[in-house]
Amino acid sequence: MSTVLLLLGAGLARGAVFALFALALVLIWRATRIANFAQGAMAVTAAYVAYLVLIGTGSFPLAVVVVLLAGAGIGVGVERGLMRYLPTASPLNAIIVAIGVVMVLTGLLGILFGADYKPISVPFSREPITVGSLAIVSPYTLFVFVVIAVVVAGIGLLFTRTSLGLAMRASAFDEEVARLNGVRVVRMRTLGWMLSSAVGGLAVLLAVPTELGLNPHSGDLLFVNAFTVAIIGGLDSPVGAVVAGLGVGVLLTIVTTLWGATVGPIAILLLLVLVLLLRPQGLFSLRKARLA
Amino acid sequence: MTQPHARATTVSAIALALAGALVLSSCSTPGAAEQPGLTDTSVKIGTHQPLTGPAAASYAPISAATAAYFDYVNDQGGINGRTIDYIVKDDGYNPATTQTVVRELVLDDDVFAILGGLGTPTHSSVLDFLNDNDVPDLFASSGSAAWNQPEKYPNTFGFQTDYVTEGMVLGQHISDEFGGKTVCLLGQDDEFGTDVQSGLEKILGADGLAEVQTYSVSNQDVSAQIVAMQAAGCEVNVLATITGFTALAIGTAAQLSYFPQWVSSSSGADYGPLAGYLGDAAPLLLEGFISDNYLPDASESDNKWIELFQDINDKYNKGAPFNGSVVYGMAMGYLFAEALLHAGKQPTRESLITAVQSGELKGSGLVPLAFSKTDHNGYVGAGITVVHDGVQASTGERWVRDGDKVVAYDKPPVELLSGGVPSN
Repeated sequence: MSTVLLLLGAGLARGAVFALFALALVLIWRATRIANFAQGAMAVTAAYVAYLVLIGTGSFPLAVVVVLLAGAGIGVGVERGLMRYLPTASPLNAIIVAIGVVMVLTGLLGILFGADYKPISVPFSREPITVGSLAIVSPYTLFVFVVIAVVVAGIGLLFTRTSLGLAMRASAFDEEVARLNGVRVVRMRTLGWMLSSAVGGLAVLLAVPTELGLNPHSGDLLFVNAFTVAIIGGLDSPVGAVVAGLGVGVLLTIVTTLWGATVGPIAILLLLVLVLLLRPQGLFSLRKARLA
Repeated sequence: MTQPHARATTVSAIALALAGALVLSSCSTPGAAEQPGLTDTSVKIGTHQPLTGPAAASYAPISAATAAYFDYVNDQGGINGRTIDYIVKDDGYNPATTQTVVRELVLDDDVFAILGGLGTPTHSSVLDFLNDNDVPDLFASSGSAAWNQPEKYPNTFGFQTDYVTEGMVLGQHISDEFGGKTVCLLGQDDEFGTDVQSGLEKILGADGLAEVQTYSVSNQDVSAQIVAMQAAGCEVNVLATITGFTALAIGTAAQLSYFPQWVSSSSGADYGPLAGYLGDAAPLLLEGFISDNYLPDASESDNKWIELFQDINDKYNKGAPFNGSVVYGMAMGYLFAEALLHAGKQPTRESLITAVQSGELKGSGLVPLAFSKTDHNGYVGAGITVVHDGVQASTGERWVRDGDKVVAYDKPPVELLSGGVPSN
């Protein structure tokens, strides 16, 4: 029983990070209709900035704040410096430029920090929290849940309860009408990039302590998994990203336990194929899929 | 009437003389057929290594160390008066890229030989090309059994102890020291894991492993596997894992307050990097950690080889972190220098292969090399090392493979002679 709970906890913790990163992809998709292939590399760059702060000050909470700021800054940089000049005729343009951004950022990080893993240790006990004799969840996992819950709730409130959120949704929904109504669409787009990039950076920073360490490629697999999660949940649905993220995390852990590690990624891809066949717009999307 | 004919004869005579002169001038060593990459003063060799990408963290230091060793040898005048020009090409651990860069090395750079091409999936993709082109393919870097197929790949040779033998050595040690305990395995989900498993089962019996778990390098969460091993009551856990995953396994288990005896294959047992991954808790978590090794351990500072390699590392490798990868890279360089020496004053690709197969190469390891006409494996056994107070050192216990069993080996390890530059 304790084993099952622990595995469930581990699955949910991993799923929560997938969810957060998928949320970043959804945010940018909603704001700009761009599938941001550079999300991983941008997030890792932000995490390196936070890593420097962590080394300098030893404060993990401060690093969390810094990763959000650095992420937002990188988002502004990429959008204002690059993305806004792209012709929007074909979605391929943005994808190819984003892949270029990945190569430049990964290369720069490699030059500056080297290819080795930089371990990030967190100020939490390594022992699981126990109820009676049952080991339930590790304190760090709990911390990850809390942070992610706060961020998701904050984004939910922003979009549904504030005029800024309304303006952002309006410009994503119909640029021209929004502009006619006085919404500064270009600024909303930049804000979307900032928000998305900050959330992505946070996801990487939270994921790294459970892995080997920070490396220029730390975001690669997370990006692939989270992209799958975002498609499963529906690229324009924040709720979908969160639910699909948690579901995929648990699925991955269960499959690994039952059939071995090799089968895990295959199970996720199978799920993706099923969703694309049966409900191509994603499980939680409100719109019809764009088929053309 | 005869004049045009005479003129033609004169012209062709001059052309012939010119051509002859050209042939002579390009052939600096009359009598010997021209060898690719070889001059009177240098020999050019190449390798493919992961210098970028996810595998670079663990493996990029190896070729840097080999290059440092060759710089040292070159400063001492080289081998038989030839300096070694070592070209390292980045393949990012991607077999498709390996094929491209190895073709460049052989066809554009005209290398004399390939040395220490790294990785099983990567190097497997160029075996046919190298053997079809008669390029000596020395000391491929992984413990795959694929390097030892002298009939099919006469030019290819291994270097490190193969994974099956490593499994047998670890199995023998476990059976001697931990008889009656529950033994389990966490292995990589490829040949590395299955070969170590087959080695263990040769010694411990087909039912000798109570639980076999696998991991995939694409997933840095091994909690499911560790929980399963804990549930199965595993007391001695063998790891056929790369270094990062050794650390993940030990760290994850510690988080579950699970402290079995860890026994690791040499590929994932290098103390320096392990301690780096595990952070402050490393000395505690790694105390008593058992592994095998066929080369002296980096932390054995009183070993002559280690002393020399550390010295070269300081002078020629910008003082890079001194660990098992550096020892591996330099031992690789030394073995090539030895092979080149034995290939003679005017080496050819054939004489290099003959030299390796001659059985005269000693290497710098704890156990002998297997090389012969019918055996292209490298080191043929391994010693046992244990971590004690943060120092990973050989216990002196050494085993060499003999068919389906291992036998104790008690000859002294190879002595360091002539400053680590092979000479006659």
